[in-house]
Amino acid sequence: MTDFLYPFIDGDEDDLGALMADLAASVRDKAATSTALRIATLDRARSQIEAAGEAMAERFAAGGRMFTFGNGGSSTDATTLASLFACPPQGRPLPARALVEDSAVLTALGNDVGFRLIFSRQLIAHARPGDIAVGFSTSGSSDDLLVAFAEAASRQVLTVGFAGYDGGDMGRAGLDHCLVVDSDSVHRIQETQAAVAYAVWRAVQTSFEPVLAGA
Amino acid sequence: MAGTGTEVDVEPASGFAATSRVAGDALSDASAADPLPGAAYALARRFAAGATMWCLAPTWPEHGRHVAVEFVHPVIMGTRALPAVSITGPDPVAAVRAVARPGDVVLAVSTTDDPVVAEVLRRAPAWGVTTAWVASGAAPTDVRADLLVHVDDPDGSAPYDGRLVLRYHLLWELTHVCFEHPGLLRDDPAGAGEVCITCGDEGRLAEVLGATADGLDVEVRTADGVEIVDTSLVGPVARNDLLLVHAGIAIAAVAVAGLGAGRER
Repeated sequence: MTDFLYPFIDGDEDDLGALMADLAASVRDKAATSTALRIATLDRARSQIEAAGEAMAERFAAGGRMFTFGNGGSSTDATTLASLFACPPQGRPLPARALVEDSAVLTALGNDVGFRLIFSRQLIAHARPGDIAVGFSTSGSSDDLLVAFAEAASRQVLTVGFAGYDGGDMGRAGLDHCLVVDSDSVHRIQETQAAVAYAVWRAVQTSFEPVLAGA
Repeated sequence: MAGTGTEVDVEPASGFAATSRVAGDALSDASAADPLPGAAYALARRFAAGATMWCLAPTWPEHGRHVAVEFVHPVIMGTRALPAVSITGPDPVAAVRAVARPGDVVLAVSTTDDPVVAEVLRRAPAWGVTTAWVASGAAPTDVRADLLVHVDDPDGSAPYDGRLVLRYHLLWELTHVCFEHPGLLRDDPAGAGEVCITCGDEGRLAEVLGATADGLDVEVRTADGVEIVDTSLVGPVARNDLLLVHAGIAIAAVAVAGLGAGRER
């Protein structure tokens, strides 16, 4: 019955042109949504980005180090940010690394003490007062991140969160800085989180420029 | 304004010495020439035919992992898990050579001048794989992928500010739109080469596996599998050299720029 109206349903379709037109429209629509979200978020969060950048620059200037973490795609975003800080295309390299890189450590912790402690246990081993903990979560409610942030805060480690939706539990956890991308699309949240993270990096670099100029 | 495809300057906040420039994204004006729809359709056809997608990003392995996890563990409920694997480690060329099978896909994320990716792309025809390249930087010149998604990136920020992520997110999203139309995904013959009008055979790229006992014939790998070819026209060859093969005879040695054709990898 529906074949007449929806011939695609049986897989007997041959209208490739219609599919390609659909895909092209989808690219335009999603890219426009992504760009609009990025611009709106950077505009809305401008003072938060500046404040986070200044606080992080102070920690770096005093010898602090940055640890980043996240789950799944967000773990790769955490690595991207650590790489940007440690090996920037321009500017000053700063000590940063991601806590998601070592499968021996992650599987040891996951197996022995449980997945929710995979980042907090690493902070217990590595973090000192004055360091910086940066976590990425699209939901804002990843349990392992919340445990890690609580551990970081108890050690006088600066806590910086990147969250989506309404900020989730990270938005209510009393982080020093929580940058929220107000969207319910995981993909669009991650794209804008990257842009916000890049803006934070620029803010940190900007804080160091007078130091470099005087050097 | 979103969707203009231009660069938008956001006013610097007080206390900022530098502006927070926000790159607009030309994708929101994507024309018929935009490569993403064609690339996604090609990926969907390869997956439907049983391909595994090998993802490599030598400089930014995290981007290779991000692509792979999108496909393997989709965030949208109900979309099928597809076999994608991130390739990391010290020698991605050797790693892909070992695992890729004819009909597979190799997806690279890199700058356009990445020498490791260039070598993978040059060798890909001998391995019989379809190549997709999400590339940033100046437009690529002498290196070609079957599917190219290019981002102009004069200051090197695209890997960090979300623009590369947007491209591969869209590839994933569009690939799954294609899967809603299974009738359009059937019968994807793995790429047919140029055929010689005299003898009906093609000039095919081959990678040397090893010499046979008599020294003139060598075992090579091509998109069609393993075969023996006569090397008397090209002289001595070493393992992993690239040859152009025609009618069972190696008619030319193919230079591999950058990393050296003679180097055993």
